[in-house]
Amino acid sequence: MFSATATAVFGDCAFGSLGQWLAEGLIGLARRSTVVAVTVTWCWRFCDSTEAGRQCAGADSAAPPSNMAQVQARFYTEDRRYELDDIPFSVPASSEVDDLSKVINKLLDAKHANHKHTDFDFLIKDQFLRLALGKHMEVENISTEEVVEIEYVERYSAPQPEECLFHDDWVSAVEAQGEWILTGSYDKIAHIWTLDGRPLMALSGHTEVVKDIAWIRKVGSCNLLLSASQDQSVILWEWNSEKNKVKALHCCRGHAASVESIAVDNTKTKFCSGSWDKMIKIWSTVPNEDEEMAEESESRPRKKQKTEQLGLTRTPMMTLSGHNEAVSSVLWSDTEELCSASWDHTIKIWDAETGAQKCTLSGSKVFNCITYSPLCKRLASGSTDRHIRLWDPRSKDGSLVLLSLTSHNGWVTAVKWSPTHENQLISGSFDKLVKLWDVRSCKAPLYDMNAHEDRVLCVDWTENGLLLSGGADNKLFSFRYLTPTSGDGA
Amino acid sequence: MAAESMSPAADSSSSSSAGGKKRPLPGLGGEEQLSIFENAVTAKDTGDLTDSDESLFSGLEDSGSDSSDGDDDGVEEVGEGDDDSGVEEKNMKKFSKRDVKISEVARKEEGESKGKLAKPDSSVRPEQTVLTAPVDEHEEDTSDEEDIRNTVGNIPMEWYKDYPHIGYDLDGKKIYKPIRNKDELDEFLDKMENPDYWRTIPDKMTGTEIRLSDEQIDLIHRIQKGLYGDAKFNPHEPSIDFFTHETMIHPVTNHPAHKRSFIPSLIEKEKVSKLVNAIKMGWIKPRKPRDDTAHYYDLWAQEDPNAILGRHKMHIPAPKLKLPGHEESYNPPPEYLLTEEERLAWEQQEPEERKLNFLPQKFTSLRAVPAFSRFIHERFERCLDLYLCPRQRKMRVNVDPEDLIPNLPKPKDLQPFPTTQALVYKGHTNLVRCISVSPSGQWLASGSDDCTIRFWEVSTGRCMRTIEVEGIVRSIAWNPNPVHCLVALTVDQSVIIVNPCLGDKLLYNATDQLIASFEKAEEEPVQPVEWTAAEGDSFDKGLRLIIKHNKMVKQVTWHGKGDYLATVIPDNGNAQVLIHQLSKRRSQNPFRKNKGMVQCVLFHPIRPYFFVATQRYVRVYNLLKQELTKKLMANCKWVSSMAIHPGGDNVICGSYDSRLAWFDLDLSTKPYKMLRHHKKAIRGVAFHKHYPLFASASDDGTVIVCHGMVYSDLLQNPLIVPVKLLRGHEISRDLGVLDVTFHPTQPWLFSSGADCTIRLFT
Repeated sequence: MFSATATAVFGDCAFGSLGQWLAEGLIGLARRSTVVAVTVTWCWRFCDSTEAGRQCAGADSAAPPSNMAQVQARFYTEDRRYELDDIPFSVPASSEVDDLSKVINKLLDAKHANHKHTDFDFLIKDQFLRLALGKHMEVENISTEEVVEIEYVERYSAPQPEECLFHDDWVSAVEAQGEWILTGSYDKIAHIWTLDGRPLMALSGHTEVVKDIAWIRKVGSCNLLLSASQDQSVILWEWNSEKNKVKALHCCRGHAASVESIAVDNTKTKFCSGSWDKMIKIWSTVPNEDEEMAEESESRPRKKQKTEQLGLTRTPMMTLSGHNEAVSSVLWSDTEELCSASWDHTIKIWDAETGAQKCTLSGSKVFNCITYSPLCKRLASGSTDRHIRLWDPRSKDGSLVLLSLTSHNGWVTAVKWSPTHENQLISGSFDKLVKLWDVRSCKAPLYDMNAHEDRVLCVDWTENGLLLSGGADNKLFSFRYLTPTSGDGA
Repeated sequence: MAAESMSPAADSSSSSSAGGKKRPLPGLGGEEQLSIFENAVTAKDTGDLTDSDESLFSGLEDSGSDSSDGDDDGVEEVGEGDDDSGVEEKNMKKFSKRDVKISEVARKEEGESKGKLAKPDSSVRPEQTVLTAPVDEHEEDTSDEEDIRNTVGNIPMEWYKDYPHIGYDLDGKKIYKPIRNKDELDEFLDKMENPDYWRTIPDKMTGTEIRLSDEQIDLIHRIQKGLYGDAKFNPHEPSIDFFTHETMIHPVTNHPAHKRSFIPSLIEKEKVSKLVNAIKMGWIKPRKPRDDTAHYYDLWAQEDPNAILGRHKMHIPAPKLKLPGHEESYNPPPEYLLTEEERLAWEQQEPEERKLNFLPQKFTSLRAVPAFSRFIHERFERCLDLYLCPRQRKMRVNVDPEDLIPNLPKPKDLQPFPTTQALVYKGHTNLVRCISVSPSGQWLASGSDDCTIRFWEVSTGRCMRTIEVEGIVRSIAWNPNPVHCLVALTVDQSVIIVNPCLGDKLLYNATDQLIASFEKAEEEPVQPVEWTAAEGDSFDKGLRLIIKHNKMVKQVTWHGKGDYLATVIPDNGNAQVLIHQLSKRRSQNPFRKNKGMVQCVLFHPIRPYFFVATQRYVRVYNLLKQELTKKLMANCKWVSSMAIHPGGDNVICGSYDSRLAWFDLDLSTKPYKMLRHHKKAIRGVAFHKHYPLFASASDDGTVIVCHGMVYSDLLQNPLIVPVKLLRGHEISRDLGVLDVTFHPTQPWLFSSGADCTIRLFT
C-alpha cells in the first residue's frame, strides 16, 4: 500500500528528497492550474503522515483556498499495471481529462519507479469524461456531495492509417480474415488482397455489381468464400491461397432481386442472404459435387456453359419472408438465430431452425445496416437518418432503443462492432467519415477517420485491430488501431 | 291580566288582544277576568247590564273582525249609549247593508201615513227609523210580522190580479183594491196636472198610491248620494280614544299591585333562556350590520346599443372642416402662390376637380383684404356637407389577427416527411428535365438535356446505366406495372420505350419477350404515328420500341395498368393528345378537337378518367362514355404540371405564375385551395403514393413539401399544411428545380434541377 511505502520512505529519512521530488515534479502542473496545486498540498500532507494527513485533506477540501469548487473523487482501474490506492482525493471541479491524467501519472510515478507516462481516459458511471469534471457531473446529474468513483483506463490511441487499396470502382463490401482482405466492388468483381495492400486475386463471375462478400472458412490453403451480387445470385468460391487459384463452386440462385447482404453463421455450414425481393434465404455452405449437376444440366441445357463457369447451381434451404420492403442487412446473432434489417423500418429476429419470427424491433427510418456483438449482446443499426441506434435483441418490448449515437451528418451505411472490445464500434456514413465510437461516450465519437473523398459504403473491424473502410471514391482504407484488450475497459 | 298595573296606553292594545283571545273560551278561567272587565266597563256604561259579556269584548275591538248577528246587536246597543268610534264604524256597515231595503222602509212609512193600520213601534221620521233600526230590522227579519196591514204574506201580488181584493187584514176581512178607473189618458192628465205626481208611488201591497213626504224624498236623495240617512249624523267627528295615549298620573284602577308583577316571570325567563341557548348553539345569528355604503346603479348597463334609445349613444360627429392652411393666409409664403401656368391650369379645371377652391392671394396687410365673395357659397356647401354626410356608422370589423390564421397542426406532428438532403446523384452534364422512380423504389430514371437518360440506384446514388439518345429528353415515365420493366421517354418527335434491364432478370426478360411476341395485324390500320421496333445497336442499348410522331412530343404518361400511354404533342393541331396501346401497338387520337394548347395529360389511377390540362383549364373526360365530365377552372394563367392523389379525388396543378391549385373533384370545379408559396414558376408537382404528402418544385430553386391529408369522410375537407421548404438546387439559367417525384414506399423526395443534379431528400 502506498501509505505503507510512504512511511517506509519516511523512516529511511528520505522524506526530504521525496517531498522535494514531488514538489519539483508538480510545479509544472501547478503553473497550469491551481488544480494540481491543491493536489500538491494534499500529497505533502499525505506523505507527512497517513491518518492525520487524510483528515487534513478532508479539512482542506471542505474549505478550498480559492473560489474553485472541489469534488471528492476516488480513482480506480481494472488494469493491474496502473493500480493505485483506494483513497479519496479532492480534485477541483474544473479539472479536465488531461489534468486528471497528469495527476494519475504523478501518483503512478510515485508508486513505480519505472512508470512510463501514459495518457488516461476517465469514466464516471460508465460515461467517458469529456467535459470538465464539475460540468460533466452537472450534466449527468451526479451529486457533488459524495465521493465520485472515477475509473481510469489507458487512453485509446488514435487509429493509424496504414494502407490505401485502389479499386476500379466503388467498394461495396469488405471483410478481412487473417492475412487477407476480401472486397466486393461495383466493377462486378470481388478482390482478394493481402493486408499490406497487394492484390492477390480477382473473382469475376458476377454479371452485376457485387453487393456483399463473406469469408466462410479456411481449411489448409483452401479458402471458401462468398460473394453476393445484384445479379440475384450468390457465388460460393473456393480459393487456394497457395496456388492462388480460384474456382466457383456453386452459384446460389433463388432471389428475385439484388442480393444485398449475406452472413455466415458460427458453425460455418450455413449462410443467409437478404435481398431486395423482401426475402431472406438460408443456404448451405458445404460444397458438394454431383447430385444437382445432372438435373441442372437437363433443365437448362441452353445455359450450360454459363453454369459450368459459375459452378453448380444451389437452391436455398429455407426462405424467410415477412418483411414488407427490401432487406438491407442480415446477420447471425446466435447459431440458430438471425437478425435482418429492412427498408420497412423494422429489424426482425428469426429462428433459423423453424423459420419463425421471434420478435420485431421497429424504428422510424429505413435501416441500412446492422451489426451484432456477442460480447455485449447488443445490436447496432445504421439508418437513413444520422443516428446509430443500439438495440437489445432480447428485450420483449420490440421498440426499445437503448441508446443512439449521433454525430454523423448523412445516412449511416455501415456499422461494425469491435470483435474484441464490447463497447466499441465503427461506423461509415454518406458524410464521408468513418467514426470510431465507444458507447460509453455517446455524444461524441472517440475518433473520426477522415480519409475518404466520397461516401463510405462499408466498414470492417478485424480481430487483429485493423479498421477497414471502403467507399464510393474507389478506395479501401485500412487503419491500425491498437485495441485495448477486451478485459481492459470491461 | 295586569290591566290595572299597566299604563293606559299599553292597556288598550293588550286588553284588546286578550279579549280576542279569551272570548271563545267561556271556561272557568275566564269568569274571574270577566268580572274585572265588567267593573271596568260598567264605570262607563250607561245602563243595559243585561248584555252578555261578549258584547263587552266586542265593543273593545277596533276592527269588526266578527260579523255574527248576536255580536252586532250587542255592539249597537253599546253604541247607542256610548257613541264611540268603534260603534260608529259598525253602524256604517249596517247602513250600507240597509240601503237595499230603503224602498221597503219608505213604503212602510207611506203605508203608515196613509194606511188604516199604523205600526205602533215604527216611527214616522226617518231619523227615528235609523235610530230604531235594530228594532225594525228585527221585525222585518222575522217574516211573520212583516206587514200587518195585509196578511197575505210575501207573495207575488199578481196572484191577486183577478180578484177585487188584494188581501186580508188582521181581522180576516178582505182588503179591497181601490176602485181603478184610471186609464192611460187619466194617467197622462194626472201626470200633467198633478204637481205631486213625481212623488206618488203605488203600494203594491194595498194598491193605494202614496205620496212621499219631503223628508222621505230627502232621505231617498241622501241615500242615493251615498250619505247617511240621518242628516244630523256626522261621520267625521273627532275620535276619542277609549284609552288615552297620554300617560296619566293615576292608574286606571286602584288595585294594589299584585305580587306577580314584582317577581320575574318564569315564562319570560324560560323564553329568554331558550333564546340564549339558541344564540349559543348558533341557531340564531346576529343580524348582519347593514351595509351603509351607497349603492349606485348603472341605469344603462342593460341597455341594448341597437335599441332605439341606445342609438343616441351612436353619435356621429359632423364632418370637420379642414383647418385653414398657409394657402388661406392673406399673406401666404411665396411657394403657396400659384404661378401663372398653375393659375391657368386651375382656371381650366372643372370646379369640382380643383384641389383648391380658391386662388391664394397676397395682400399687403390685413386691412387690404376684401370681403370674402364666396362666403354664402361656402356656407351653402358646408350645409350641403352636413346634410349629405353619411349617417351610417361604419362597422369596423374587430377581429384579432391571430384568429384569422387557420388552426393548423404543427409540422412536427405530421412527420414523416422529407427534411434533409441525403444524396446527390451526379453525372448528367446538362439540366435534368425529368425523373421517374421504378415501382419497386430501387431505381431512378432521369432524362436530361445532355441527350442521355440515366438509371440510378436509389440507395447509393450509383449510376447503373446510361443510354444515349438523339435529342433532349423532355419526359420520362417508368411503367407503373411492376410486372413490366419498361420506361417510356420522349426524344424530340418520338416516344421511346426502353427496357432498363434492371431488377429481376426474369422480369425484364419476360418483358422483352412480351414485346418481341407482338405480331402485326393483317391489315395495317391507319395510325397517326409510326411504330418501329428497335434493332441492332439500339436494341443492345435497351431501346425496344420507337413511336414516331409528326411533331415534338412534350410529355408521356402511363396508365396505371401499364398498357396504355398518353403523349402530348402541343403543336399538332387537333391531335395534341394521343393514346397508345403497347400490347397492340395501336395509337389513336381520342379527341376530335382540342380547345387550347394542351400542357399535360394524366390518367386517373382507378377510374377510366383522363385529365387534360390546357393553359387555364383542366378537362376531365370519361374514357368509357367518351364525354367531358368536368372542367376545372385553374384560376391561373398557365398550367405547367398536374398530379393526382392516389385516391383519385384530388388533383393539384402547378402553374407558371407560381401558384399551386388543389382541386377537390367532389367539391367544386374551382380550386379548394390556392397555395402561393413559391416565388417563381412551378415546374413540377407530385403526390406521394402512400403518405399524405405532395410537393411542388419551382424555378426559385426550392421544393415545398406539404402535408395533404385526404379523409375518407366526405364531410371533412382535405387538410393542407406546408411542412418543409427544401433547398439544395442551384439556379442556373433562371431555372431551378425542374421535376419532382416521391419514392413509392418511403417518405423520400427526388428532385431534378437545372444544376445537372438529382437530389434525394429524406
